[in-house]
Amino acid sequence: MPDASNPSPIAPTASSRLWTAGASGGVASAVLLGVAALHPHHAPVLLGGAAAVALATWMVNRPRRRAEGVAVPVAEEEPETPAPAPDASLLEATFESLTDAVLVISGGEPDDIAGRRVVLANRAARDLLRIQRDGAILVSVLRDPVVLEAVDEALFGSVERVVDWTGVRDRHWVAHARPLACGEGRALAVLVLRDDTDVRRMELMRVDFLANASHELRTPLASLSGFIETLKGHARDDPKARDRFLDIMSAQADRMGRLVADLLSLSRIELNEHIPPSGRVDLARATTDVVDALSVLTHDKGVEVRVSGAGFAEVRGDRDEIVQVIQNLIDNAVKYSARGGRVDVEVIAALSGDEATAARMSGSSRLPLLTPDRDASARYAAVVVRDHGPGMEREHLPRLTERFYRVEGQKSGGDRPGTGLGLAIVKHIVNRHRGGLAVESVVDQGTIFTAFFPLSGGRRPTGAPGSTL
Amino acid sequence: MNQHTVKSYGDELNQLTAEVARMGGLAEAQVADAVESVARRDVALARAVVERDQKLDALHHDIEKKAIRLIALRQPVASDLRKTLSAMKLAVDLERTGDLARNIAKRALILAEGEPMVPLTRSIERMGKLVSGRLRDVMDAYTGGELDRAVSVWSTDDEVDEHYNSLFRELLTYMMGDPRTISAGTHLLFMAKNLERIGDHATNIAETIHYEITGGDMYGERPRLSALPSEPDFKADS
Repeated sequence: MPDASNPSPIAPTASSRLWTAGASGGVASAVLLGVAALHPHHAPVLLGGAAAVALATWMVNRPRRRAEGVAVPVAEEEPETPAPAPDASLLEATFESLTDAVLVISGGEPDDIAGRRVVLANRAARDLLRIQRDGAILVSVLRDPVVLEAVDEALFGSVERVVDWTGVRDRHWVAHARPLACGEGRALAVLVLRDDTDVRRMELMRVDFLANASHELRTPLASLSGFIETLKGHARDDPKARDRFLDIMSAQADRMGRLVADLLSLSRIELNEHIPPSGRVDLARATTDVVDALSVLTHDKGVEVRVSGAGFAEVRGDRDEIVQVIQNLIDNAVKYSARGGRVDVEVIAALSGDEATAARMSGSSRLPLLTPDRDASARYAAVVVRDHGPGMEREHLPRLTERFYRVEGQKSGGDRPGTGLGLAIVKHIVNRHRGGLAVESVVDQGTIFTAFFPLSGGRRPTGAPGSTL
Repeated sequence: MNQHTVKSYGDELNQLTAEVARMGGLAEAQVADAVESVARRDVALARAVVERDQKLDALHHDIEKKAIRLIALRQPVASDLRKTLSAMKLAVDLERTGDLARNIAKRALILAEGEPMVPLTRSIERMGKLVSGRLRDVMDAYTGGELDRAVSVWSTDDEVDEHYNSLFRELLTYMMGDPRTISAGTHLLFMAKNLERIGDHATNIAETIHYEITGGDMYGERPRLSALPSEPDFKADS
């Protein structure tokens, strides 16, 4: 940080000017007070004047100090006050701990793009832009043309600009570029990046939710009102038909309920997607729990679920969400299995990223649906769910995690149709856990889904600055 | 700090890579904006993309001129030579990327005159996001000198192809079902093709980065990550 301990050259003049203003204001008030004491009959007027002068002095001093006192430690006007003047180390610590990313950028020549360098960056900025050292070239850490233009205008046009920046991992930032007056003919600008993702995401989610919900609820709703019409009309006195219709209506109502629940849970997961989970979960234990919980359903359908593999595999994650991933995958596998079929579930610990996505079926179409950031040292635990159902053609695989996507000619469940959101939910949860998801399928032989999560003992898979270069 | 002295050799090299990074940023924005103009039927944005393409062309010429000048006057060798050459190669790929983005924006202008085709433009948007992400990753790899990142972009090119094939089928089904959508569907088909080719350029860039860092090429068999040096002794701007 070359510039941190180097106060701006105009600082002493500024503070002495403030000091003079303060002193003369004080003298004026004192004189007025003295005159008021000597001439009691004019006292109200003079006291008012003294108060006005004191107020004016304070007003003159206050905004200046606020504007300049932050960046430069200004000498205290009253030496006897007990509060110590903020020293350079305190200012630096404060700067470092700011949650917004703050960068100071020097200009160089206007036509030389390599001349824009980051002379000062706080921790948030270094982590965000992966700046490795002082004096990094700005364009090598931040390439967005709109932000670069805003910085240029702040540097050479002395114009303050606020622009939007869509950064890494689909996050939105508001970038404030502000000229930094520092004299000496050296162009400096400060760039503050504030995270705006949550606000945007909320807005987007509301729109998405409304669109999805209204579109998907329309069909069951239409069928409900159709049955109600019929029940009111000619089926009124037919107890057999009435019972049958009521059964269908109750199934439709169930479906609507599940749809709303799934949409809500998808929205909630998306909202948290950029916050990595902090808990620890044993994948093997979670798997057996899910299989136990689903035993009623599997028994009804006559499908056998076999669990094998590691007895213990602790991953970093949120238990409820990981349970939901396993549950959705097994649920799907059971749905697509024929009566009396079999679903194999295997938990495998300590895999590298490549091993986790490796082929498990010969002659299959295989596709990673979600790949974590490549990190050779990361180790994963995987849950592999295999059904022996109809399988899918290759062209369907890339779109499986799309909301409401359905493979043509396949009907899931029959009596318990899915919402079309299960795999979308799985994908978002796995993404939040920085894990991966892969699918393999052979027509008429079955499908394998592999979801893998980083092991809790391993290195942090993302975000560790200085890991390369 | 005297600004008017003759620039050093290192500064000139730095400037070259910085120009390429800036060009990359511009190309990324062009692709993202072009896709957004399709998704939101935003005519003004599409026009802006078409206009901004000239800027990319200018940058391309500028980089080429600077690189030739550097080779002529400084006779770079070894990694410096590779750096100069890869700057030239990247500029070509990025310029082509920009052209393809402009083409998408032009088609977006035509599509905006017709009826909205929401499910199809949404598929284009998905593919556009994927391709933009790859372009961003590969430029991050370039500016950070990260070999494994470049290799991971290179080895996951299939994803884009899969998307393209799936979109192709989807569009065909649509057009067969309703011949009135053929005109719009054809434009969307070309957009998908353009995006697929932008993905190819990202793969080319990854190859160039691999060449710049290691000096070897990566044709033929896709390399396993473990077979490559995990910590390349390469500095982004030495």
